[in-house]
Amino acid sequence: MASVRGSLLALAVALAVTGLRAPAGAATRPAPPAAGPSQFTPALLPVQRVVLGNGLTVLLHEDHSVPAVAFWQWYRVGSRDERPGITGISHFFEHMMFNGSKNVPPKMYDRILESNGGYSNAFTSNDMTAYYEEVASDRLGVPLRLDADRMAALSLLPEQLKSEIQVVKEERRLRVENDIAGMLNEQLYATAFNASPYHWPVIGWTRDLDRITREDMVEYFRIHYAPDNCIVVLTGDFNSRAALDSIRAYFGGIPRQPQPPTPVDSEPEQRGERRVDVHYPAQDVSFQIGYKAPGVRDPDLYVCDVLSSILGEGESSRLHQALVYQREIALDAGASFQTRINPGLFEISVEMKPGRTAAEGVAAVDSVLGALVEKGPTDREVQKARNLLEAGFIRGLKTNNGVGQQIAYYEHVFGDYRAMFTAIDRYRAVTAADCRRVAKKIFDSNKRTLAVLVPEKPGAEEARP
Amino acid sequence: MNRLAAVLLVAVIGVPPGPPPAAAAPVHLPPVTRAKLRNGLTVLVMPTRRLPLVDMRLVARAGAVNDPAGKEGIASLTADLVTQGAGKRNARQFAEDIAFVGGSLDAGVGAEQFVVSCEVLKKDLATGLELFHDAIAAPTFPAEEFARKKDEALGAIASERDDPSSVADVAVLPFALGSSPLAHPSVGWEKSVQSLTRDDVLAFHRRWITPDNALLAVVGDVDPGTLIPELERRFADWKPSGAAAAPRVPPLEKINGRTVEIVSKPEVTQTQIRMTSLGVPRNDPDYFPIEVANLILGGGFTSRLVNAIRVEQGLTYSISTGFRMYRDVGTFSVVTFTRNETLRKTIDETLKVIEKLVSQGPTDDELAKAKRYLTGQYPLGLQASDALAQQILDVEFFGLDPHTIESFDEKVNAVTMVDVRRVLGTRFNTRDLKILVVSNPEVAKKALAGLGPIEVKPIP
Repeated sequence: MASVRGSLLALAVALAVTGLRAPAGAATRPAPPAAGPSQFTPALLPVQRVVLGNGLTVLLHEDHSVPAVAFWQWYRVGSRDERPGITGISHFFEHMMFNGSKNVPPKMYDRILESNGGYSNAFTSNDMTAYYEEVASDRLGVPLRLDADRMAALSLLPEQLKSEIQVVKEERRLRVENDIAGMLNEQLYATAFNASPYHWPVIGWTRDLDRITREDMVEYFRIHYAPDNCIVVLTGDFNSRAALDSIRAYFGGIPRQPQPPTPVDSEPEQRGERRVDVHYPAQDVSFQIGYKAPGVRDPDLYVCDVLSSILGEGESSRLHQALVYQREIALDAGASFQTRINPGLFEISVEMKPGRTAAEGVAAVDSVLGALVEKGPTDREVQKARNLLEAGFIRGLKTNNGVGQQIAYYEHVFGDYRAMFTAIDRYRAVTAADCRRVAKKIFDSNKRTLAVLVPEKPGAEEARP
Repeated sequence: MNRLAAVLLVAVIGVPPGPPPAAAAPVHLPPVTRAKLRNGLTVLVMPTRRLPLVDMRLVARAGAVNDPAGKEGIASLTADLVTQGAGKRNARQFAEDIAFVGGSLDAGVGAEQFVVSCEVLKKDLATGLELFHDAIAAPTFPAEEFARKKDEALGAIASERDDPSSVADVAVLPFALGSSPLAHPSVGWEKSVQSLTRDDVLAFHRRWITPDNALLAVVGDVDPGTLIPELERRFADWKPSGAAAAPRVPPLEKINGRTVEIVSKPEVTQTQIRMTSLGVPRNDPDYFPIEVANLILGGGFTSRLVNAIRVEQGLTYSISTGFRMYRDVGTFSVVTFTRNETLRKTIDETLKVIEKLVSQGPTDDELAKAKRYLTGQYPLGLQASDALAQQILDVEFFGLDPHTIESFDEKVNAVTMVDVRRVLGTRFNTRDLKILVVSNPEVAKKALAGLGPIEVKPIP
């Protein structure tokens, strides 16, 4: 029942759970020798795609299992579209979109929606800002009205801006300033990237949050919250023809805007290992390693997903086996690779057992990665990773909301929702030799950044009155 | 654009407080086939065809509440170990084989339930079933795995001390629940976990994880006609104990007046707050009025508390209230956090909001909204096969009306203003309250002076 809106982590979690991190479309590889019929085909998930005259992309998938619908609005804007000085503004919008639009006064968005039995939430990442509502089928008109109104004319009233920025700062205290994994991850990205927009945190630097003006907000809204910069996805129990008519009626009159500028990524090549220490009261040492990794346009993405599974998915994965099970030096060891529009990081995170040092942990990770680079995975490991990724796809489709999220994600990040259907076959094409080749390319110590939590004794910081 | 705006004006402003609740489409679930295996295990099978997935969930009536005094953590450690060697597989092979089919198999405990759950693609059901059976009926508890998992549990206890929210959730248990067998975290205390032996694990498993003390649900792309005989065959070697059912949990100690506990964490800039009073067990006849009243006070995004504390005053990112309903007892809690500087203000304002709702009751609109919200959201929790398995097992576990799921709307809609006022008056007690904060003790002591007797404690 927690009122958590604006979860920056929602996407990461969702991706981890649904195994969404699948690239496709971008690759030009030959059709793979399929090991058997894929369970994941367009027949399992028929989608209708329409682009309205104002550029709004509409994707529909009917499923009448439960008398409810999920409606996503997926804006092609995230922290990568920001600039120094207004970092966090994308995420601030995620809060303000519930705080009043031309015909829906502050507080009324949620009140109207909940009065109709609906639920809403949203998340922001480096690459996107996504909103969704879930309502009973007979109330579909309610979110359509509310969401069209806020896309057409968000109010951004000074009083709401002033109060809501306090909520955002409280969220930052929760997720970063009082959370060890959060503070490490912020420093990892800030250190790994010099000139990529991934340098700054999605939630923004505190002093930037204080600096964002109403004028900044109005301008940002005009540029990024236009129909041609948005994908809407409707899944669940509805009639496509009637639903499309309603969407057209509510959204079709909102004018398109000039295309927003493409974010600049001037990241230079990394030529040596970087390290950042964070001193904070803690029981144990923990650390995160980030290796420079490909963005969505690189066909090696599929291989990165397989590597991430082999290294970090479940108890039988290499990192868990080596650090937690065999050497017994860590409480937890995992890997994560998220498909991003710009080149990002292949992350490894480790929490050491009491009394163990970061040096021991890093050495153990090095030997795991070294073995993978030298010999590659076994064929069985590659098959296991493919099976995990395929099952992850199916699991992502359990709810209307999950289906909608997958469709929107692929349409935005890969430029075509149909990429989700070919992703399984792309995974099936990955070989042990591919894994070895890509591991060798990525796990280069000159291209890595290490963020280490150096524990201080709890209570070492003096009480501040 | 103008034309559209005009349409919107009418449409949107016309919505609140909303049209009368449309007869929402009734929840139609596939029929459940029930069976009792010869060994006493109750089985519920619900076939669903949407996805080629199968979810299996076993619940034994055994949880942290059954940890013997001084052995807190044994239920949790036993659950940790059932996947670490079972049947013919050692820990590594077990993990490898479930991962190889892209499945999941997890075991864990809550306060009152020992849960083993498994999800596999339909084509891998045979593998899933074999591993699921072995974890339940044939764990081998290798000595080296016992030592490893015990060590990991101790590491986890230490590690949680770094997370202010976890610290609050752990510390509030003994503070609010006193000497109840529910008053400890599942993972146990550092000292009790240190004392656990492999024999304790064997004894716990033998005593509690038996077919006559458990319920099994299977939901997904299966045929009950072939699955049930298969379960009968598979689980034939799992023998009932014939032991008496678990003792009931005695009533919680009364809370008298307000008391404050400050858990010392000097470095935090944000204070975690938990305020707890006594509540009700799950089968309380006022369950539905309580859920409705609680939603109005502290559920969703438009509750009184979210509106006052988050939206209007910007004091927190999240505030919620909830009733934790066990089989025999329960608690009512407020959960929030705020920057250290606004600690007292947040508590005072929160109490003010609760007291006002209790004394004046909600508006008719609020009551109608709460009912529509609850009935509108309920079907969403019935989409995923694993969620369905949990729902149908909870009905059995708590001994609820067998039509609980189908009659949910009807029961929510039957709640009246009189019902809500009544439960607000009896179940939302702010006078007898345990207030726990995780904070810088010097700052918190000053802030909380006058609220009640204050005790400062280290992190447990």
